[in-house]
Amino acid sequence: MSFFYITDEAPVGDRYGEDIAVLSAGGEIDYAASPQLRERLADCISAGGRRLVLDLSAVTFIDSTALGALVGAVVRLHEAGGGALAVVCADENRRVLRIFEIAGVESLIALHSSREEALLELAMAG
Amino acid sequence: MRALLDQESPLASELRLPALPSKLGLAREYVHEVAAEFGFDADHSYALAFAVNEAVTNAIRHGRPDAHGHIHLSVRADGEVLTVAVHDCGTFATSALGASQTGESGRGFALMARMMDAVQLCVSPGSTTVRLSKALP
Repeated sequence: MSFFYITDEAPVGDRYGEDIAVLSAGGEIDYAASPQLRERLADCISAGGRRLVLDLSAVTFIDSTALGALVGAVVRLHEAGGGALAVVCADENRRVLRIFEIAGVESLIALHSSREEALLELAMAG
Repeated sequence: MRALLDQESPLASELRLPALPSKLGLAREYVHEVAAEFGFDADHSYALAFAVNEAVTNAIRHGRPDAHGHIHLSVRADGEVLTVAVHDCGTFATSALGASQTGESGRGFALMARMMDAVQLCVSPGSTTVRLSKALP
């Protein structure tokens, strides 16, 4: 059976800004799981999140519907007046990185190898 | 659920998969199994499982299952090439082939093509088959 989770990380607002939200996902994000990802990102944006960090380092599989959910979040941020989605994926996670490489979404979603790097980049953009 | 067509060769097998998102993991496991049997390394098995997952997702989202609610997967080994066919009873609309940069769907075929050596789409009324082929490294 496939397995998937997504969790909210501790708020980092004090240090980086109140509109920053950090999420972490793990397991396999296929068409069975991507609706949860889409919903969670949409909830973050509804709650005022404009700079989102999504850590996919513990994800073992990602498909086109997961990429679609990420692109959908970027579109929602744009519609909400602006924002950014930064994806974190550790360098060792070659399988997930390869999907991002070939998907052609680099102009929409910034990819970082660590959460700290993503947060710094978003903090500077805010 | 699985029927070996030829007991001598586990690589001529098929899987009838309930057309449900929750069964996609089963499709990937099946492909990993036959790919390993064929001699693919982990990266090749992953590429094939990824592409089959996309084709089965399309079949579930846009296609139609058979009268028993199933999507059909079949595997064929031909020399150094392993081919997985994903069949459903829908009529695939080729308009679903392209995605805009900011569209939420439509990336599946482009990704399959990047992962495979060959992707073949055969559509006739009430029948859609995607054949995904990859050669041994």
